[in-house]
Amino acid sequence: MNAPVRVRITYCAECGYEPQTLELAGALMREFGTRLAAIELIPWSDGTFDVRVGDKLVHSMMRDGGFPDPTDVAIAIHEVAAG
Amino acid sequence: MAVTGERFAQGMTYDEYKAQMTRNQEKFEENERTVQLKPGDLEALKKGPKRNVLVLTEDWCGDALANVPILGRLAKETGRFDIRVFLRDQHEDLTSQYMNGEFKSIPVFAFFDDSFREIGRWIERPASVTERRKKRRAEVFASDPRFGSPDSPVDQLPETVRADLMAALQAMRDEMRPFADGEVVREIRELVTKAP
Repeated sequence: MNAPVRVRITYCAECGYEPQTLELAGALMREFGTRLAAIELIPWSDGTFDVRVGDKLVHSMMRDGGFPDPTDVAIAIHEVAAG
Repeated sequence: MAVTGERFAQGMTYDEYKAQMTRNQEKFEENERTVQLKPGDLEALKKGPKRNVLVLTEDWCGDALANVPILGRLAKETGRFDIRVFLRDQHEDLTSQYMNGEFKSIPVFAFFDDSFREIGRWIERPASVTERRKKRRAEVFASDPRFGSPDSPVDQLPETVRADLMAALQAMRDEMRPFADGEVVREIRELVTKAP
């Protein structure tokens, strides 16, 4: 990995998506440690569960359906960090 | 598998459900207390037969938070609904019977007669509410160029804009509530009173 990347998780707080949000954030913390610039959690509404790595939206519940596999997000982080 | 009287009786009463809620209980009570019911709707329901109502729900769901209290108030005001509540994620046998297409939408209200013949089901929210909400949501986004497009991810907005957008969307939901509640009551009334 090169430069640390920022991860943003936008989740529907009205829908009770906190467990999935914390599960994903925890998995990324354990895997990447200090190699991430930040993990930002954004409470929202409207059934949202979006994950952005750097500038790239790597998962959107509206677009892709469901919750992302943490492994897929980790792969995206490696790809974005590698440029 | 058909719902039997025995299976129905395994559900929680409406008050038992409220007592075990781990979130949104205060808002749920407020919604039940403040829903505006029309005398004509109550009279029509009071004249109808008594119905058993199976409810599938979860306390974190926004549509359930809005609509289950309406059913609860109708039950209290008319005395015509015997409600039993099941948590969606703990009763797969029931959830699989009341799918909304491919989705496990909630709340589900399934109405049964005395012999447990299903006379109708109501799921999630009225289509009229979905349609008007979509239109009003588009208007909210159009009201301020800082909000961008309704389809754009909100995490790209500056925090202050995001807060303003959230406030505008909440105001829209509050403003729409009388219409939305009225549509829920209308659909329940039609479903219950038109059934044989």
